[in-house]
Amino acid sequence: MSECFCALTFTLLFITVASVEAATCPDTDALALSWLDKMSRNSQQLSYHGVATLQRGGDLQVLQFSHLESQDDSSESLIKLTGQGAQVERAPHPLDCIHPGQQLLRMGDALQASDCDMARQYRFSVVGDGRVAGRDTVQIEVVPRDMYRFGYLLYLDKETGLLLKSETIGHGHKVLEKFQFARLSYSEAVPSVNGIVVSHQAKHPDALNPAISAPVSRDWGVNWLPRGFMPTDTSFGTSGRRTYTDGLAVFSVFLEDLNREMRPGEGLVRQGGTTSYTRGMLIAEEPVLVTIVGEVPVNTARMVADSIAWEH
Amino acid sequence: MTDDMRESLSAVMDGEANELEMERVLKHAVTDEETRATWTRYHLARHSLNGGSLAHLDWDISEQVRSALLEEHTAGSAPVSTGFKQRVLRPMASFAVAASVAATIVIGGQQIAQVGNADRYDRNQAVAISPPPAGIVNIEGANPVQASYGMQSIPVLQPTTRTAYRDLAEQRLNKYSQQHAEQAALNSPQGLLSYARVPQIRE
Repeated sequence: MSECFCALTFTLLFITVASVEAATCPDTDALALSWLDKMSRNSQQLSYHGVATLQRGGDLQVLQFSHLESQDDSSESLIKLTGQGAQVERAPHPLDCIHPGQQLLRMGDALQASDCDMARQYRFSVVGDGRVAGRDTVQIEVVPRDMYRFGYLLYLDKETGLLLKSETIGHGHKVLEKFQFARLSYSEAVPSVNGIVVSHQAKHPDALNPAISAPVSRDWGVNWLPRGFMPTDTSFGTSGRRTYTDGLAVFSVFLEDLNREMRPGEGLVRQGGTTSYTRGMLIAEEPVLVTIVGEVPVNTARMVADSIAWEH
Repeated sequence: MTDDMRESLSAVMDGEANELEMERVLKHAVTDEETRATWTRYHLARHSLNGGSLAHLDWDISEQVRSALLEEHTAGSAPVSTGFKQRVLRPMASFAVAASVAATIVIGGQQIAQVGNADRYDRNQAVAISPPPAGIVNIEGANPVQASYGMQSIPVLQPTTRTAYRDLAEQRLNKYSQQHAEQAALNSPQGLLSYARVPQIRE
């Protein structure tokens, strides 16, 4: 795990960031950016556990989170207290392993270089405060500057910067998804839970041995991304999946070779803020099925699907 | 263009606009040069992505959409916008979730799989602003690709094909959401919450 994939990503990211020309950040609240910075830096370095709810449309889930921090790493788990009774555990994750999405939120240095970074994609502002799970929070409004991503209302713990509540906002100020802690405790004593049926160990990408699941026959690429999105992996090859993040939103593109042509068309399913968009199409005469799964609007998925091509 | 207008336009592109929003956008697009230009720009972007010729794009989109809408209304067919709830509550097709595309085609997608018929959809029939999920995007090499974004003139899909593709999208969500969550958990501020969006966690 010491050969963390992040070391590679970090270099990549540095180049990307450095190549972006400096610009002024219009109508951006520096205070809001510093809060996001704090959230990204601190959230890995806290010990806490709590019960939270996730509301998506008519569906309400109750979840238990726990996060344990030690000197060099942190481990965490999520337990679905309703529904499936599933548990997801993450083995100790090095604190110095910073993934692209987390790095994007750490705008402290970028700000000093008057490099707007994420502020080019979103308008951030501190809009108020309030209490969540008995903690004082600061409320940050995140408004997208284009139509390729959703907006958010984030409530961060005033003391620790931990994200205690978030609302995903679609067009027309419609709340697509609401997450919030109901109870939270900053301690290391994690309550035990009975009735766990399925336990999953969260995987961690490995730069040296990238897991290529469901490979496709040829190299392929996505030729259009909304501004500010970058890959979460360092190498792709013939992997059937590509994932991209802008720091807040994440979407994955899956490509499948088809052994026969199918009637071209597209289908869409939405659950809360998650879009699943599937398109059967031809790329240079070869039939493929493209699926985009992620927390982005459907027009983003469509555009991305349009831009997929074989490489070379 | 005002923020409200941008939002309505976004809704139209998302296929989520209600009739009021749709009317507003159309009205604006007729009178407001900027709104119209924005539409055209998106179409151009999409068009060039597909290597299409730009010569075909100099049309008045709002006019096209408007006439499509009118045809929809006068034909008395399905409403322009279907509510999210309606779509979610729509009874699922009866075929089971299959593990592969091939299986899906066999079990559920007779309609999808029927290729080879030269006239797989009638390009002359009335265009429609279709509520998602809908719309064939014209991807066949020789013909210029018409711009989409959920509001372009798209061939009307057979309802059965539409249903099959919707179910395919649902099936793929189940299949891929855990892989997506693996990545999202490490690259978004919500961390492990990403896994809560996975319908069925697998070991």
